[in-house]
Amino acid sequence: MSEKPHNVLVTGASRGLGLAIARRLSAAGYRVIAVARSKSKPLTEAIAEAEQSGRGPMHFAPFDLGKIEAIPDLVKNLRKEFGPLYGLVNNAAVGHDGALAMMHNSRIEELVRLNTLSPIVLTKYVVRAMMAEGAGRIVNVASIIGFTGYSGLAAYAATKAAMLGFTRSLAREVGRLGINVNAVAPGFLDTEMTHGLAGEQRQRVIRRSALRRLADVDDVANAVEFLLGDKARSISGTVLTVDAGTTA
Amino acid sequence: MSIKLTIMDEMARVAREHGKTLAPLNDDVALLDSGLDSLGLAVLVARLEDRLGLDPFTTSDDVQFPVTVGDFVKAYEHGGH
Repeated sequence: MSEKPHNVLVTGASRGLGLAIARRLSAAGYRVIAVARSKSKPLTEAIAEAEQSGRGPMHFAPFDLGKIEAIPDLVKNLRKEFGPLYGLVNNAAVGHDGALAMMHNSRIEELVRLNTLSPIVLTKYVVRAMMAEGAGRIVNVASIIGFTGYSGLAAYAATKAAMLGFTRSLAREVGRLGINVNAVAPGFLDTEMTHGLAGEQRQRVIRRSALRRLADVDDVANAVEFLLGDKARSISGTVLTVDAGTTA
Repeated sequence: MSIKLTIMDEMARVAREHGKTLAPLNDDVALLDSGLDSLGLAVLVARLEDRLGLDPFTTSDDVQFPVTVGDFVKAYEHGGH
């Protein structure tokens, strides 16, 4: 990596997969800008660790990604503070589940707002900055639920399938400016989001996976690191599935 | 440099970088006939935000992107506020 670390924005970085991605990228030498509503204890610890390790620094940027109208200023301020943005990892999402017929409309709206509208608008402003630089990497965190069915996740699935379509078309749109756009599709992970997946359901997913286990957040974080790195320079518009063979 | 000259300067730069030929520009020329395609215009708006500190197309309530070069320049001159 060059002497000045590349800036990478990671949304939803206070816990779960986002935190694992932030840690991995910092360990790989990137300067990580961790966007989340609040600074969780694990994120605070990760920032301190990054500082002690002397690897890529980690910064906390408090922001509620549901506030779509404030996104342009967020990006403007981050660029002012940190300089050019090399990478964007759209990870923040909510995982409301339940029978669609009984899901409150406000929950459906929240799913679409946080999982689809917000990352699209954030990407719009970040990609502009990348366009001005003529380089950049975008990784959207989708889900295997974006292309395979799971009862109780219809609305969530719609938001993740949307991000897959977004990934492919944006890759075509900005490719000739030197910007790569890809997605990762994790299978079921043990995080707060999947706490509802317990007992028998969890065992069933494990039994069905080719590798007889679940992928973990570090597996997905490794995939994100790969897509941001030089070794993935010729990869764009693709989806990297990390699910221990659940959908094989 | 005036806003108009800055815009013209940046249009020429983007056209050069994208291997496009810029048409002779006046206020009545349609943006899409200027020689820049839609991606070129997107790069132009991104660069102008850096140079002028303005993004009139986010701050304005007008959903329509300007059609002519003259309207485009006016959007910046009015500051988008």
